[in-house]
Amino acid sequence: MKDSATIIIPSDPKYLSVIRSVTTTMGGLFGMHDSVIDDVKLAVDEACANVIKHAYRGDTRQKIVVKFKLTKKGFEVIIEDNGIKAEPELITGRSLDEVRPGGLGIHFIKRTFDLFHFDEKKKKGNRLRLIRYRGGGNEDRDLGQ
Amino acid sequence: MKIEILDSKGIKVISVSGDIDMYSSPDLRKELMQLVHKKVSPLLVDFRGVSYIDSSGIATFVEGLKNMMTYGGKLRLIGIPEKIMEIFCFAKLDRVFEIYGTIDDASNN
Repeated sequence: MKDSATIIIPSDPKYLSVIRSVTTTMGGLFGMHDSVIDDVKLAVDEACANVIKHAYRGDTRQKIVVKFKLTKKGFEVIIEDNGIKAEPELITGRSLDEVRPGGLGIHFIKRTFDLFHFDEKKKKGNRLRLIRYRGGGNEDRDLGQ
Repeated sequence: MKIEILDSKGIKVISVSGDIDMYSSPDLRKELMQLVHKKVSPLLVDFRGVSYIDSSGIATFVEGLKNMMTYGGKLRLIGIPEKIMEIFCFAKLDRVFEIYGTIDDASNN
């Protein structure tokens, strides 16, 4: 059986700390370095914050489903909502050379995960699939001592 | 997250501890912008107790800095923990903010 865990939280920013705690635990079970866990925690937090901000437009009464899968392939996180459809081609973030508030979250997600993909088969809402491949070309990049 | 506004030898210091995220950053923004609107300068932010920051927290400081620049104010960040400094460096904000190790260093410049 694959190692997996699913957590459902209200779309309220106060529950993002719960997501961070579970992400940290799952990263530890996967055997990640602490520094990688920090990156993954930030990336998953940003992805869930984007759901609250963009898919639910700040409505805190909705739900977010976050599934973690630890496989031979890597560390996978699937984030589902029932909100407004994302337009992946418009999700680019700001240039890092530009100094203005906002537009950094997507950079934090994409620098950490090798795969960032919205499942087009989901009819209502969004299903974002994030995978950090084991090793990613460097067998030591994720594993702890 | 906990915020304290302190006075260090006549210089205002915002001491922040805990996690700065989408939930807590609006409170931080309120405190920061109150001081910015009073044109306090220099304004120091003590990061030594900060355990986590996300993009909404960083956006709060960028907004504060940009507002202070309109009146020539100085926003100085102090004691940024290594893992948070890495995020500032990735976002190229280490080139934008004045960053110091201690309150004394920031006060004496």
